[in-house]
Amino acid sequence: MKEWILFAPELCYTLMALVFFWLAIQKKVDQRRAYFFALALSGVGLVAALLCATQQGMLFFDAYRIDLYSQLFKILLAVGTFLVIFSCSELKGIDGRNHPEFYLLISVCTLGMMMLVSAVELLTIYVSIELSSYSLYLLVSMRRGEDRFVETGIKYFMVGVTASAFMLFGISYLFGVTHTTYIAGISKILPGVITEPAAIVGLVLALSGFFFKQALFPFHVWAPDVYQGAANQVTTYVGTASKMAAAALVIRLVGFSGGESPVFVNVLYALSVLSMTFGNLVAIIQKDIKRLLAYSSIAHAGYMMIGILAMTERGYATAMYYAIAYLVMGYACFMVVMKIADDGHNLEIKELAGLHKRSPLLAMTLMLGLFGLAGIPPTVGFTGKFLVFAAALEKGYLVLTIIAMINATISLYYYLIVIKAAYLLEPLRPYPRVAVDTWTRAMCIILVLGMIYLGIFPDQFVALTEAAARSLP
Amino acid sequence: MTAMEMANFPVLSAILMSTILGLLTIMFIPDDRPKLVKQVSLFWAGVGLVLSIWVYQAYDIEKGGLQFVERYLWVKGLGIYWFNALDGINAPMLLLTSVVLFTGVLTMWDLEVRVKEFFAFMFLLVAGVYGVFISMDLFWIFVWYDVSLFPMYPLIAIWGGTRKEYGGMKLTLYLLAGSALILPGIIYMWVHGGAHTFDIFELQRIGFSADVQKVAFVMLYLGFGILAGVWPFHTWSPVGHVAAPTAVSMIHAGVLMKLGAYGILRLGMTLCPEGLAYWADFMALLATIGIVYGAFVGLAQTDLKYVIGYSSVSHMGIVGLGLSTMTVNGINGAVFQMFAHGVMTALLFSAVGYIYDRTHTKMIPDLGGLSRTLPIASAFFIIAAFAGIGVPFMASFWAELLVFISSVQTYPVRGILAVSGLAVSALFMLRVVQKTFYGEKNERWEHIPDVSLFLATPRIILVGVIIFFGMFPRVILDVIQSAVIPFVGKL
Repeated sequence: MKEWILFAPELCYTLMALVFFWLAIQKKVDQRRAYFFALALSGVGLVAALLCATQQGMLFFDAYRIDLYSQLFKILLAVGTFLVIFSCSELKGIDGRNHPEFYLLISVCTLGMMMLVSAVELLTIYVSIELSSYSLYLLVSMRRGEDRFVETGIKYFMVGVTASAFMLFGISYLFGVTHTTYIAGISKILPGVITEPAAIVGLVLALSGFFFKQALFPFHVWAPDVYQGAANQVTTYVGTASKMAAAALVIRLVGFSGGESPVFVNVLYALSVLSMTFGNLVAIIQKDIKRLLAYSSIAHAGYMMIGILAMTERGYATAMYYAIAYLVMGYACFMVVMKIADDGHNLEIKELAGLHKRSPLLAMTLMLGLFGLAGIPPTVGFTGKFLVFAAALEKGYLVLTIIAMINATISLYYYLIVIKAAYLLEPLRPYPRVAVDTWTRAMCIILVLGMIYLGIFPDQFVALTEAAARSLP
Repeated sequence: MTAMEMANFPVLSAILMSTILGLLTIMFIPDDRPKLVKQVSLFWAGVGLVLSIWVYQAYDIEKGGLQFVERYLWVKGLGIYWFNALDGINAPMLLLTSVVLFTGVLTMWDLEVRVKEFFAFMFLLVAGVYGVFISMDLFWIFVWYDVSLFPMYPLIAIWGGTRKEYGGMKLTLYLLAGSALILPGIIYMWVHGGAHTFDIFELQRIGFSADVQKVAFVMLYLGFGILAGVWPFHTWSPVGHVAAPTAVSMIHAGVLMKLGAYGILRLGMTLCPEGLAYWADFMALLATIGIVYGAFVGLAQTDLKYVIGYSSVSHMGIVGLGLSTMTVNGINGAVFQMFAHGVMTALLFSAVGYIYDRTHTKMIPDLGGLSRTLPIASAFFIIAAFAGIGVPFMASFWAELLVFISSVQTYPVRGILAVSGLAVSALFMLRVVQKTFYGEKNERWEHIPDVSLFLATPRIILVGVIIFFGMFPRVILDVIQSAVIPFVGKL
């Protein structure tokens, strides 16, 4: 019986997938009904994830580990999925007949990512990654409209499959060297054979696949196109929930590696610096707000890597805190984008002009979200950066921290351009008032208060993430 | 430590809360009631003013040290404390902030564009300033420091004047670049303190090795120095001042730049005395260049606000020079100069603001002979200009005197150069006064009404403060000294 409870959140999303499979094969599609089903079922998933937060154990021949760390990320995934589905009330970017399929794929993808954060065996990891990735390939290409959106989906698929192939190739080398697919076993054997070329090639190729999911430079090429080409809700999903799974995987793998190898540390160091700098510099010239957020997410993957680089419990904890912060801030920005572009088109920065008159609440949510991403106190983004830097400086990474802070200053420039558009520019043609329903209004207020609360009172969340980091082996 | 003296009423937090409550109440006023917004703003600014005057006079000079201490653990894992206290250095700064805020709100009484947002952002800005001044915890100092910076961007970019978007962006990025050095500096000290505490005085007791101090001090000095307008990082300041609306210029030049100097003093010099000793020579050099450079560049300006902007660079150089002497007189003078310059610049910007609002120009050649058409408005500017020159019986006289005496003793050559820089700045101020307010009368401005009694109030308050502290410098010097003497004793 206990095994079933351990697996309860995943079962909820399996159930959700089945319900939508059934709805998808019905002749008639009721969009409202599908929406409420999805909202209710993802709510159930969230509750299940919360209730299972303190479970511990191993499943499936020890390939599947349930600890506070995995459960925390499952909660984050469930929250992210719930929030994305919450904002699907106006799902104009996707053909009405395909709505059940959309929810089906979202639930399968969430299921895959939940398995990913618990997987501690290479093949399980691979299967989970592919389960979530294939759902994402389909979700991205589901966008209604022009052919170039389909092109995005195909591009994403091609690049993604190539990355998977490399990852699988790397995994096979790792297996060849260590004769096991369990990460716990690999981490025992690998340090002894790390000088062998096969081991290095295997490790680098396997990690490349994971960095690809996290969109860390130079594995980021898909991100801007996918962010721009996917429907706004799908972009939100890719930009918030799926980032959590990638972060969880990278933290766990680096945690296993233990950081004994200086080469490995140097590679991560370089990736972090390049990712931050590249993401921020390219974001400056973006005109489409989703592309801008894509490049900013590349930069944020770099910031998160700083905490992981510390390779201490506090470091992993701060990276987790940063992930929580990014979920809230990123969702706040994306929600504003979805509400303004309520017919599902791609939003340009200049279309934000006069937002402070069209909807003061959305303008304020956007401003706080962006200031959070830029790391300005008293928002959660600042506290996240502060914690990450504190962990890195404890290990003596002074230069890295200064580089990161300079990057934060650069990033402020393009965030300010967006804020300027929302608060300062007068629209060239009069845009209509943005219709904001009561639920969205409530969500805005929750997000604003949440960003400030998490920023000023981080105590409990820091304790929570530290407990989760301790549960890492 | 005076933890025993925990005041029953957390008056310092109350001063801070007066701005946050002000901000919240303003946000809930309907958009179509601008008058009410201004009244509410004035009320909360008044609350802050009354509380800071009370706390200033209640500060016990005999006892000295930290008073009105509030200290609670905030984040356990990191050792962050909600730690507010008053000593002889931040007491005058609080007074300055509240005076400038109060007069700033009155100065903006004519504002018509997006009134609610303006005052909301302004209160947020001042919340940050109060927070930095009262806080004795590194984490909170940094948080409040950043809170005080980012409202500057909308304030300048929306309500500003000349090249407002450029000025606002430049200012924000420069100042945030400064915090890019401060934050690593703060965490660096936290790590090397080893006790996981952000409490300034605990860290001071722990002490750091000389090498750590040298690195940390230069990060803090450069980071805060950008905000303090230290040459060569001053270029944002004239541009920003010119672009900003009147009250924002007042707060910015009057108070925000002092945050930089205060940060150097409170964080850099308190925690890294050996770092200070190592870098003092460098500090004095930059400060002297700032004084002379500001004065000469000011000579060449034709825009009234640029003139004030460069005079600020010059005057903030005096603060830096005073701090770098590491003597009682020098630091006394520097802190006094922070106060005196704050009030004086606020008055200058406020006077120019009135003239600019009416004539829509602040170019010196376009004005001229204003003392005959606008005698009262001119009088305010002229008084402030005299204060800037350092005429006796004005507050800055004493401050500058103290700094120059000690700097000539410590760094003879630079001290004399700085004094001659002051002579040049006197020259340029007099030149501006002569061209703008005397000389040939420009007929275009004949119809303009002079300052009404109501609009004169904030300026009169500022003039009163300048003259009061010029006549009775001991009222402020005794307070400052009560903190500086033990401080220099530890250097």
